[in-house]
Amino acid sequence: MESTRQHLIELLQENEQCYISGQELSTKLHISRTAVWKHMKELEKDGYVIDAKPRKGYKITSAPNKMSQNTLQWGLQTEWLGKSIVHKPTIASTQTLAKQLAATGAEHGTIVIADEQTAGRGRMQRTWHSRKGEGIWMSLILRPEILPNKAPQITLLVATVIAEVLSNFNVKPLIKWPNDILINDKKVSGILTEMQAEQDQIEFMVIGIGLNVNQSKDMFPADLKPIATSLKIQSGQKLDPIVMTQQILMKFEDVYEKYISHGFDVLKGNWLKYGYKLGEKVYIQTAKRQWYGVIEGIEPDGALRIKNDDGSVETLYSAEIKW
Amino acid sequence: MLKIEEIHELIKRIDESSIDELTFETNETKLSLKKHKGEVVTSHAVPTQVTAPAPATAVVDQSNQTSSGEQAGTEQPTVANYDHEIVSPMVGTFYSSPSPDKDPFVQSGDKVKADTVVCIVEAMKLFNEIEAEVNGEIVEILVENGELVEYGQPLFRVKNV
Repeated sequence: MESTRQHLIELLQENEQCYISGQELSTKLHISRTAVWKHMKELEKDGYVIDAKPRKGYKITSAPNKMSQNTLQWGLQTEWLGKSIVHKPTIASTQTLAKQLAATGAEHGTIVIADEQTAGRGRMQRTWHSRKGEGIWMSLILRPEILPNKAPQITLLVATVIAEVLSNFNVKPLIKWPNDILINDKKVSGILTEMQAEQDQIEFMVIGIGLNVNQSKDMFPADLKPIATSLKIQSGQKLDPIVMTQQILMKFEDVYEKYISHGFDVLKGNWLKYGYKLGEKVYIQTAKRQWYGVIEGIEPDGALRIKNDDGSVETLYSAEIKW
Repeated sequence: MLKIEEIHELIKRIDESSIDELTFETNETKLSLKKHKGEVVTSHAVPTQVTAPAPATAVVDQSNQTSSGEQAGTEQPTVANYDHEIVSPMVGTFYSSPSPDKDPFVQSGDKVKADTVVCIVEAMKLFNEIEAEVNGEIVEILVENGELVEYGQPLFRVKNV
């Protein structure tokens, strides 16, 4: 059912300039003309405006700006990412649902996305403010065929993808190691990655992305106002979350393929291009130590490279950093 | 550098302890100590291994076996009271609970199944939920919440039930 709808969208998209007959659609999709008609009604419910002319066929005259599985797949040129999309108008957390789906066998590249999260979360179960239609709240399910100890690199990969997409919108994003995205020192996007893995094999990875798109300043709660921002605040323009989601997904698939074939090395330079506070001194905390160190950059595997006051250099995989 | 007295002391301590093996490594020194525990165990095990295949005396030997088995049984728990170690698949921070204000995933004495999440190891903001991978009982938790762990470092000891 889902794949027929997807196929239908592809056919309509290829024929955007002309009418395509019900008969042709029926033949190509191996469904009855009545079934074609039913699918069209479903698309209309999603907000598509369909022009149906007797003896000519169907043509889509306008696509809706309402987010749905259909509108997200319309124009999404990917091979495997987003072939299966679960869209919910409202959900507690896309991450929680995505983990459940992953645990029950959802395929590599499945996406869970919502207009609104009522209990969106960041790391350590911190809440993520995610109001209706103001941003992109989604989780990607991946099953990478790499060793679990390499998986953290994918979290840096996601950050470079988002930073690159955002730079197309007249803003200057920076990546705070490992993967928060800041514009003018305020957070515009956060990434939470959770994984289930065995010793030598990843069962699944769920990457949660929260991206503030169209909030205006007064929409953030008081405690977030000093630290959060949106693309609209920073770029001065209202942006289409659907288009933005598609750009992120297409870029992600492309970069991910490169990473799988060539390793993190090909991404390191790109990450550094957006690196936040490179060469600056920060306060670092781990379970046993607190100290000041200068951020030198990242290691070939994505770990943070710190230079201490005594000249020694160390590699951090996990630390709390006061920026 | 370790002094020879310190090494002697270490050997003595290990001899008295339930540790079978110790590797100690600093930038310039590597010290590896290993007990020939195998021999001690075989001295118990050999008679049973030899007698077991002989069918004629099997019944008689069974009783011998149980008595020697009991002997071994009283010693073995001090040598290894676990059957499996859950190790970290990556470098990162060990978290015993899903968030600071939540209860730990597991505690000593808890029964776990292969798919029970026992902890989280975090690196570069990737949160890896570690599953027990075996059925059994958690008998020992080897690291503390918030501690940095290495690749392959044992985190939990599990005993079959």
